[in-house]
Amino acid sequence: MDLYPVWLSFQVATSATALTLLAGLPLAWLLARRRFPGHDLLAGAVVLPLVLPPTVLGYYLLLLIGSRGPVGRLLGTLGIELAFTWRAAVLAACVGSIALLVKAAEAGFESVDPRLEQAARTLGRSEWSVFWSVTLPLAWRSVFAGTTLAFCRALGDFGITLMVAGSIPGLTQTMPLAIYDHVQANQMHEANVLALIAVAAVTALLMGLGRLARLRF
Amino acid sequence: MLSLAVAKRLAGFALDVAWEAGEEVVALFGASGAGKTLTLQCLAGLVRPDAGRIVVNGRVLFDGTNGVNLPPQRRRLGYVFQGYALFPHLSVEENVAFGLSGRPREERRRRTAEVMERLGLTALASRRPRELSGGQAQRVALGRALAPDPELLLLDEPLSALDAPLRRQLRDELGSLVREWGKATVLVTHDLGEAFHLADRIVIYDEGRVAQAAPKSELLSRPASEQVARLLGVRNILRGAVIKATPEIIELRWRGHVLEAINSPARRYLPAADTPLAFFIRPEYVRLIRKDRPSPDPGHHMNRMEGRVVGEVDQGTNWMLHFRLDGPEPPAQGGHDLEIEVPKLVYEMLEIARDRRWTISMHRGSIQVLPSS
Repeated sequence: MDLYPVWLSFQVATSATALTLLAGLPLAWLLARRRFPGHDLLAGAVVLPLVLPPTVLGYYLLLLIGSRGPVGRLLGTLGIELAFTWRAAVLAACVGSIALLVKAAEAGFESVDPRLEQAARTLGRSEWSVFWSVTLPLAWRSVFAGTTLAFCRALGDFGITLMVAGSIPGLTQTMPLAIYDHVQANQMHEANVLALIAVAAVTALLMGLGRLARLRF
Repeated sequence: MLSLAVAKRLAGFALDVAWEAGEEVVALFGASGAGKTLTLQCLAGLVRPDAGRIVVNGRVLFDGTNGVNLPPQRRRLGYVFQGYALFPHLSVEENVAFGLSGRPREERRRRTAEVMERLGLTALASRRPRELSGGQAQRVALGRALAPDPELLLLDEPLSALDAPLRRQLRDELGSLVREWGKATVLVTHDLGEAFHLADRIVIYDEGRVAQAAPKSELLSRPASEQVARLLGVRNILRGAVIKATPEIIELRWRGHVLEAINSPARRYLPAADTPLAFFIRPEYVRLIRKDRPSPDPGHHMNRMEGRVVGEVDQGTNWMLHFRLDGPEPPAQGGHDLEIEVPKLVYEMLEIARDRRWTISMHRGSIQVLPSS
């Protein structure tokens, strides 16, 4: 049987998690440590992907990155196609999972005593250095827990991916989409194998990484 | 040299202070919420004042009129936080070396070793902050602040988190360390004993303002106002009215008696007749006139009054007597008019426990007049 969807899912989830960290950590730091106009609005917007129907998210994302959307058109002029490629699947997984990282990291950053950061500043450290040498090392458990959850969520995204990347076998058909297709085609054995792989992978990740960092989810 | 003037308005609180200091230890003393720590934060650049000017050794750190506001990174001040705020994820050595990150590796290593050696931390180099005693943590905090050789050392309530016996011990240790390093220091404390023990100069804060700034030797003998005297815990602060004031002598009316006090040579205070006036006399300066001696000498035993002892408080080596004057007026301080401190030996010799009626006298040089604030 074709195990490519498993491989693709892990690739997509890994890329999506990297993207999530890149965008999510600064966002979480901003929400935890800075007060600015629109702060609460942004804090609310961050959790939206957790509560909106995935198809609604996918729909708006598609309007944005589709060949006639503003982002899609911009990328099109650069010769980059996004919608219905594996990159769109990465973006979909990222949108679906970023809130989990941001909320966990934000709580982690907030739990760091601000006086420790002030102490680092009076000792000559730049904001950048304060983050890497004080804030992040003290909040790493929360960030790690958030990253693990975000990865697992990215691995399992269905609705958003379907809307923006489709379900093209060998190209954008990730594990959850493949399972759906197998069930539709009454290929219960294949669906079973993939579903078990998904359960095993996520369980192993949560337990293994959790034990590594002595976390509780 | 440090000269500081800052104004900062927060919700429900306004700070507006100005004071100067030299190469010495200055204590900012006052109740919690008086604005001491806020001043320190403004000095270190952690809080931006609304207005003012801060100059350290000729370097302008903040100037509200032309927008100069150096970030904390560039102020070169060693801040020791309340509770020390050591980095819990770093070893003692890494904590001490933390402020040296911009320097060459060799210099960093040498300076860290030198500071740890001087503070007796070498053996603790690889410990984490949670494995340290209070005294060790204090030394690490000092080491971390002193390693980059700051221009000023700022200590925010360095001893407030400790229990009394340890607190005394660490106070002595801190005092000798600060003197040994000879670093100009600003200390924030709400403990008067600590301020007197550690500082050369004391700035008294009261509700966001400076009530008095003076060398500590001057402070107790010449409080600038009744309010300062109260903040300093001065006993027997009393209120009378002026009869006559000359540059040498002030005559007062108090509890139906006429008292003569020496005017402050520094202030030459000349209030008009009938002006209300506060004054104080230290409990140990009130004299009991002995009954077994010849009649009192009026030149020596001035400002005499009669009354009786209505209570006493055991103070270990002394008794604090509560003395009520004869007369119909309500007592000046709760149930009594004066506190009188006598050594236990005198208390026993004069049989005060049995003999309650006494004539007292207050030398005019012992009565300190307090300008109203």
